[in-house]
Amino acid sequence: MRRGNNLRNRLETIRKERGIKQEELAAAVEVSRQTIGSLENGRYNPSIILAFKIARYFGMSIEEIFIYEEE
Amino acid sequence: MKNCKSIVISILGVLLCGIGFYFVKSLTDPQGIMKTLPYILVGIGCGMFGHGVGDLINKKVTAKNPELVKQIEIDQNDERNIMITNMAKAKGFDIMTYVFAALLLAYGLMGASMEVIIPFVIAYLFVQFYAVYIRLRKDREN
Repeated sequence: MRRGNNLRNRLETIRKERGIKQEELAAAVEVSRQTIGSLENGRYNPSIILAFKIARYFGMSIEEIFIYEEE
Repeated sequence: MKNCKSIVISILGVLLCGIGFYFVKSLTDPQGIMKTLPYILVGIGCGMFGHGVGDLINKKVTAKNPELVKQIEIDQNDERNIMITNMAKAKGFDIMTYVFAALLLAYGLMGASMEVIIPFVIAYLFVQFYAVYIRLRKDREN
C-alpha cells in the first residue's frame, strides 16, 4: 500500500499465487525487478501503459490488480 | 564495421593528445591562444580516447552476452528509473537556481568585474527563461 496515496494493488498476492518470480514478471513486462518490488511495496504507482501490460500478463483487468479507493 | 566509429574516435584522440604534447614540449615561448591550446588538445584527446576505448570494450562485452544487452536496455527504458532520473534533474535545477543566485549576489557584493557578472547574469537568465519556455511549450503540446 502506498503511503499517503489511495491506490493499492494486489500484485504481490497474484504473483505469488501463480508462482511467478519478480524477475520473471519484470522481464515479461519489460521493467526492472526494482520497479516490480516498488510496485508491490506501494512506493511507486505504475503508468497506465505498465498497468495494462501487467494486467494483460495475468489475463485480468486493471481494476482487479490495482484498486483506487476514494478518500 | 560497427566498431569503426569507436576506433576512429580512439585514434583521433591519440593523435590530438600527441599533437598537444608535441606543442607543450616544442613551444618555448607560446603567445596568445598557443598558451592554452596544447593543454586543450591533450584534454580533448584524452576524452576522445577514453570514450572510444570505453565504447569498444562495451561492445566487446555486450556482443558475447545478449541477455546483458537486453537487461541494460530494460534498465535504460524502465519508467521508474526514468522518473527518478527526471526527478533528480528537477531537484538539481531547483538547487542550482538558488545556489547560482546566491553566488551572483556574492560576486555583486564583492564588487567583481562587470565582465564576469554580466555574462553570468545572461547565462542565469537564459537558463531560467529556457525553463519557462519549455514549460509553456509542453503545456501547449500535451
